[in-house]
Amino acid sequence: MRLPTGQISRFGTLKSLLQRFAYLSLIGLTGALMLIGKADTVLVERASDAVTDAVTPVLRVMSEPAAVVADFVNNLRELAAIREENAELRESNSRLLQWQSLAQKLESENKSLRGLSALVPEPNATFVTARVVADTGGAFAQSILITAGEQSGVHKGQVVLTGEGLVGRVMQAGLYSARVLLITDINSRIPVLVGEAGNRAILAGDNSLRPRLLFLSNKSAAAHGDKIVTSGDAEAFPPGIPIGQVSRVEEGGVEVEPFVVRDKIQHVRVADYGLSGILAQSPPALKAEAPKTEKVEK
Amino acid sequence: MQGTLLHRMDGTARRFVPFGVTLILMLFAMTPTYIPGLSHVTPMYALMAVYFWAIYRPDLLGYGATFSIGILEDLLAGTPLGSGALILLLCQRVVFHQQKFFNNKPFGIIWLAFALVAAGAALLRWICVGLVATSGFTPIGQMFTAYLMSVAMYPIIGWFLAKAHMKLLAQSE
Repeated sequence: MRLPTGQISRFGTLKSLLQRFAYLSLIGLTGALMLIGKADTVLVERASDAVTDAVTPVLRVMSEPAAVVADFVNNLRELAAIREENAELRESNSRLLQWQSLAQKLESENKSLRGLSALVPEPNATFVTARVVADTGGAFAQSILITAGEQSGVHKGQVVLTGEGLVGRVMQAGLYSARVLLITDINSRIPVLVGEAGNRAILAGDNSLRPRLLFLSNKSAAAHGDKIVTSGDAEAFPPGIPIGQVSRVEEGGVEVEPFVVRDKIQHVRVADYGLSGILAQSPPALKAEAPKTEKVEK
Repeated sequence: MQGTLLHRMDGTARRFVPFGVTLILMLFAMTPTYIPGLSHVTPMYALMAVYFWAIYRPDLLGYGATFSIGILEDLLAGTPLGSGALILLLCQRVVFHQQKFFNNKPFGIIWLAFALVAAGAALLRWICVGLVATSGFTPIGQMFTAYLMSVAMYPIIGWFLAKAHMKLLAQSE
């Protein structure tokens, strides 16, 4: 009778030892992975791309009910305000018609001036529209996953927009999905122009709802309500994309309220302006490309 | 013969319920809700599930399963790889260690204990991400709000988990 009991207890001890060993190994592995992630970002990015590609269809299905509910609520809200909105639209339509005639006049003037100065026209952008299937927010990273990847012509570094303005840029692109770094993310830094005076600054996210302006050349220049647009410096973004407006100016810094309301984004446009962009390529790739550009110049 | 095979398959499927439910909750945390202001402070749903199963069915959600869910979460969310898995594993270990304490305790105590475990988890993750990420520490206020959301959401998620537990697991016994 005693032998089997002893065997059982020995087996139990062995099992608990094994479990403890497995646990400690996994804890060690998480530490190792954190270090690998810091040292070899390309490897982690590739793994992340593969996983994102595989899980995006599932997320797409899961995001469907919430999208339907959001659409329904929006429809109800719009229906309630349909009269007021109609009056507003009529008013804005007549205002826009005036602008249209002005724009036509300016366009023809522009055309003739371009002809005079032999200006090289900016390349036309191509757009890819994609659905937002995941908002991987939380307190630590502000990014969204979209349903278009390399297969649809989405590449790292491209600009992501909605009708309201800038959303962010493509941070990682898998085959069928891509991760977009939002302008509110702590890693986001965008060269911008502030207000009509066009003071240069850097718009820096800090994972909160409102990014801040850094390196503003003249602090007193930013006032409440000033519009913020991309400056086009560093070739990461084309100039003139609307981002937001100054919502608070205080000693600690200047806060910007983005035009794009993150919680409402259902679809985005990924724009390819043909910019080389400081983030589109990793440093070795840039180095490798350097002789090629020299060649062209010669 | 066929009956026993089906029975066995059914049993195996049931054993995967905790893993499946935790996985779905982790993905659910990422789906857009379109509720204003919520996307910045998503509750830690995966942590709730790991905590729940560690108390009620420690035999059905092992360390390996928890680890893989944590890694998947990090890869999808773009947070430092390993940080999410570490937190989930530590939470699970703490609960396993205090199994006697959790035994037959009323919901209020379980909820309070979750508030404590989640506080430790959130703080540790904040430190981990701050140390590993190149951008440094994120404002602690965001994390604190996410923590409060998690504590507030636990009764609802816990209720769903308890339903899943009773329906799918109790039948197999």
